[in-house]
Amino acid sequence: MKSIAKRTGFALILACILLFGVLTFVIRYFLYADRWVSFTGSPHVYTDGKLNTGEIVDRSGEVLYTSASDQTYADSAALRKATLHLIGDAAGNIPPRILRAYASKLFGYDKLNGTAAMETGGGELRLTVSAQVQAVAMQAMNGRKGAVGVYNYKTGEILCAVSSPSFDPLDPPDLETENEDGYYDGVYIYRFFHASYTPGSIFKLTTLAAALDAIPGLEDAHFTCTGERVINGEKITCPRAHGELTLREALAKSCNCTFAEIALRTGKSVLTGQAEAERLMENISIDGITTVRGNFDLSDASDNDLAWAGIGQCTDLVNPCQYMVFMGAIAGGGSAAEPRLVSSAQCGGRVTYEAAVSQTPPMLSAGAARTLREYMRYNVTQIYDAVDIPGVEVCAKSGTAEVGTDANTATFAGFIAEEDYPLAFIVIVEEGGAGSSVAAPVARSVLEACMNVLDGER
Amino acid sequence: MDIFLDFFRGAEGITLFSIYQGALRLSLPVLALLIVIRSARSLLGFRREPEVWAWLRLATGELLPVTHWENLLGRKKTADIVLDFVTVSKNHAVLTRQDDGGWMLTDIGARGRVDVNGAPMISGRVNYGDTISLGGLEMVLEPVSREEARLQANSRTKAGKGNSPGLTLLLLSVFQMLEIMQLMFNRPEDRMTIFTAFGILMGVEWAMFIGQKLIRRSGFEVETIAFFLISIGMGVCASADPGELYKQLIAMGVGITIFLFLGFFLRDLEKAKKLRYVAAAAGILLFLANLALGSSAYGSRNWIYLGSFSIQPSELVKICFVLTGASTMDRIVTRRNLLGFVIYTAFVGACLVVINDFGTAAIFFVGFLAIALLRSSSYPSAFLVLVGVGMLAVIVIAAVSAIKLFPHVANRFAGYGHIWEDPFDKGFQQTRSLMCVAAGGLFGLGLGNGWMQYMAGEGASDTDLVFAYVSEEWGLLMAVMMIFALAMLGLFVVRSAKVARSSFYTIGASAAMSILMVQAILNVFGTVDFLPLTGVTFPFVSNGGSSMMSCWGLLAFLKACDTRQNASFAVKLSDKGGNQA
Repeated sequence: MKSIAKRTGFALILACILLFGVLTFVIRYFLYADRWVSFTGSPHVYTDGKLNTGEIVDRSGEVLYTSASDQTYADSAALRKATLHLIGDAAGNIPPRILRAYASKLFGYDKLNGTAAMETGGGELRLTVSAQVQAVAMQAMNGRKGAVGVYNYKTGEILCAVSSPSFDPLDPPDLETENEDGYYDGVYIYRFFHASYTPGSIFKLTTLAAALDAIPGLEDAHFTCTGERVINGEKITCPRAHGELTLREALAKSCNCTFAEIALRTGKSVLTGQAEAERLMENISIDGITTVRGNFDLSDASDNDLAWAGIGQCTDLVNPCQYMVFMGAIAGGGSAAEPRLVSSAQCGGRVTYEAAVSQTPPMLSAGAARTLREYMRYNVTQIYDAVDIPGVEVCAKSGTAEVGTDANTATFAGFIAEEDYPLAFIVIVEEGGAGSSVAAPVARSVLEACMNVLDGER
Repeated sequence: MDIFLDFFRGAEGITLFSIYQGALRLSLPVLALLIVIRSARSLLGFRREPEVWAWLRLATGELLPVTHWENLLGRKKTADIVLDFVTVSKNHAVLTRQDDGGWMLTDIGARGRVDVNGAPMISGRVNYGDTISLGGLEMVLEPVSREEARLQANSRTKAGKGNSPGLTLLLLSVFQMLEIMQLMFNRPEDRMTIFTAFGILMGVEWAMFIGQKLIRRSGFEVETIAFFLISIGMGVCASADPGELYKQLIAMGVGITIFLFLGFFLRDLEKAKKLRYVAAAAGILLFLANLALGSSAYGSRNWIYLGSFSIQPSELVKICFVLTGASTMDRIVTRRNLLGFVIYTAFVGACLVVINDFGTAAIFFVGFLAIALLRSSSYPSAFLVLVGVGMLAVIVIAAVSAIKLFPHVANRFAGYGHIWEDPFDKGFQQTRSLMCVAAGGLFGLGLGNGWMQYMAGEGASDTDLVFAYVSEEWGLLMAVMMIFALAMLGLFVVRSAKVARSSFYTIGASAAMSILMVQAILNVFGTVDFLPLTGVTFPFVSNGGSSMMSCWGLLAFLKACDTRQNASFAVKLSDKGGNQA
C-alpha cells in the first residue's frame, strides 16, 4: 500500500498545475487587466462600437473630442483637421490609439472594483499638444505632405505632432473618387510617428556627434572641398567647390565632400553606435503610439556607401519623432526628456493619471552637444534667416534628401536654446525641395506659435 | 485610497444602498474563504492515524500491526510490513482482508517459500492463530479484539473535530441566502424560481448532513465543497437562464443518488469488485448507445436526445471507467485483470475517436494515466506504457481529425495564443472572457449583472467559459476560490492515501480526482488562453446535467478513501462487523 500511496503524487502534480496556473493567471490579471477591459469591442466600455470615455482636450482645455452621448469633435474645421491623427476618425481608418491606451483611466477602471464603480462618459484626457499650434502647422504645410513636430525637451510635452495631409473627420473624403490628384495619398498614416524618411543633411548632426568624440582635434581641422571627391571610383559631389573650410563652415555650408571624409574617418562601428545611441532603429512607445523604426545599416556598406550614409543618404531612414528627440538631446547637453502626448487623465473629477518626466538615455557627450549647439546656432545666424527669430537663440540644420525622384524631401531640424522656450523641432516636407527654403519657414511659424502658447501659460 | 472608497460607491455616489451593496459584495468572498479554509483545515490537517486490523506476532514476541486491508509483506522499505531478514524477498507476499473479516495470503512470486502451518501456499485463507512462514521467518496472525477495536476507534480523532462540519455548512447556508437575496433583487421576474430552486438545494444539503449524522458519520467537508461549487454554478445558471435551474436540480438529485448508491457499494470490497463488472458493461452500453443514437453538437457526436432531455453518455462513462480501473493489491502485484482494463481503455479510446470528442479523450487519458501509474505498483509495466502511448496517439488522431472536419475546432486551435490578433473571430470567446474577468475586478459586478450572460448557451459562457462568468459576476477572488476548493479535494486524496484501507479505494479516489482536476485545468486554462479551448466543463459549476451526475459519481470515490474515524458513509466503522476472533 505504501508504494501505491506514493504514486498518488500524480494527483498532487495535477493539483499543483492547477494552483500554479491560477497563480500565474492572477499575476497576469494584475499586469494586464486594464488592457483587457478597454480592448476594442469590450462590452463594458464600448457602446455601439465607440469607446464611451468622455472628452479629450488639448493643453489649453480646448475640447477636441467628446464621446459621451454623440461623438463630437472640435468646433472649428481647422482644429478638427489639425488634430485628426491624434483623435482618430469615425470610420476607424485612423485608430484612436491614445484614447485606447488611456480608456481604463478615463472611466475609472481599477483592478479591485473592476468596472463596478466605473463612470462612462465622465472622463477627461488632457493632451500636451496645442490645437492652435497644430492648426498653424497644418496651415503652414499648406497641403504638402509631411510631418511637423515640436516638443519641450525639458518636460517631454509634445506641443505639435502634425501629419499632413489630413481631413475633417466630420467630412471625410471618399478616397475612391476624391483622390485623383493623389492629394490624400497615405492620409490615414500618422506620418510624424509612423513614417520614416531619408533625412538628408540633417543627418550630418549624427555623423558629427559621433566624429567629435571619435576624432581628437577635429574641431580645429581644416578641409578643402573641390566640389567632388572620388571614393573607390565613385563620386561624392557638392553643388559647387567650397574651397578651404573649417569644420563649422563645413556644417553651415553642408559640405558633402567634407562629411564624406569625416564619415570615413569615423568608421562604420562608431557611426552605427551613434545611431543606436539615438535609438534611431528602435520602436519607442509614446502614450499608446509606437514609432516606426528608422534604418541605419552599414553591415554590407562599401566606403562609398559609408560616405553617403554619413551625409544622410544611402539607406538611411529616420522617424521624424525620433530625430526630434535627438535635437532635444543636443539642446539638453546629451539627453532630453522622453516625449509624451498625455499630461493627465481624470475620471469624475478625480485624477487617475498624471504624467511624470523621464529622461532619455545619453545620446551624445556633453562636449559634442556643446559644439553642435554652437555650430547649429552659427548656421542660423549665417544661413537660415528664415528661422532667425529676433532675441531667441534658434539652432538648426537643414537637409535636402534625394529620394530618387526629381522632387527632394525638404528636412529641417533643430531647437531653441532658451530657458523659457526649451523646444526641439523637426519639419519634413515630402517633394518639398530644399530644406532651408521650404521647411525652415514652416518651422518658424510653428515655433512662434509655440512661443505664444508658452508665453500665454506664464 | 480612492479605489477603496470606490468599493462602496454606487451609481449615485456613496449612499446607504451602495454601502449595503458593497457589504454584500464583500461578504460572499469572505464567507467562501471561511468555507474553503475550514474544509481545508479539516481535510488536509487531520492526523493520519492508522487503523489496526490484525497483528502479526514474530517468534521474538514482537507485534507488527497490520494497518491496511491489503498489505505487502517483504524486505524492501516500502513494504507495508517490513520484514528485514535475508531469507525474505523484497516483495514476498500480500496479506488481504476479506469482507467477512477473514484473511487471504498470496505468494507473489517470491524466491522464498510461503508456508501456512507448515504447508506451502500459493494463495489461500489464513485463520487467526495460523503460523505463517515467509522464507522460513515465522509469525502468527492474531486478531484485534472487539474491545481493542472499540478502544482504537475511540482514541482516533473523529473527523471534523475542531472544524465542525455543521458550522461550515451553516456558513454555506448564509452564503446561499446572501446569494438568493442578490439574485432575487437582480432577477425580479424569476424570483419564485430562484427562491424555490435554492430552497430545494439547501433542503437537500441539510437532509444529507442530518442523514449522515444519523448513521454516526461526521465528515461532511467533501459534500460541503461540492455544494459550495454547485451554489456558484446555480448562481451562474440563475443569471444565464433561470429556467434551467430545475433541470440542474434534477441532475443533482440523480447525481446524489449515484453518489449514495456507489458510496454504499464501495463500503464492502467484494460488493465493489462485483460492481466493477456491471460498471464495465454499463460503460460499454453507454458508448454503444451513444454511437447508435448520438447526435452531433458543436462538432462532437456526444449527445443523446431523449425527448426534451439530452444526455452526454461519455460523462457517465467516467464513473464506470474509474470503477473498472480500480483494483486490489493482490491483483495488482500479480498483474491479474490488467489485460481486461487495457482492452477496456482501448475500447473507450476508440469510441471517443468515432464520437470525435478529443477534449473528453484527454480527460480519459489522464484518468488512465492515474490508474496505470497506481496499478504498475512495484515494477513499471511495459504493457501499460504501450497502451498509454497508444491512447495518446488516439487523442492526437482525434484532435487532428476534429481540426480537419470541424471549422470551429480548427478556429479554436488557430486562435490559441493569438487571441488578441483576431478578437472578433478566432479569439472571440477567450477575449470576451478576459475582458469580462477584468471588468469583474476582485469582487465582481454582482450576480446577474455581467455581460457573459449574453453569451450563454451557444456561446458556452455558462459552461466552457464558466471561470470567466464567475469572475465577472462574483469576482476573481471567488473564481480562484472555486479552484482552490477543487485542488484541495485533490490534495486530500493524496494525503489520505497513506492510511487507505485498500488500493481499490486509493486508485478510485486518485483517478476520480485526477479526472475532475484535469477538467478544471482544461476548462480554466482554455478560457484564459493558457491552453486551446477544448470545451470541457468545470466540475459542479458549469451548467450541464450529465456533468453534474458524473461529478457526484466520482465524488463517491473520495468518500470511500476517507478513513478518518467516523468520517464517511462510504466507509464501514471499524469496531462494527468483521474482526471476530
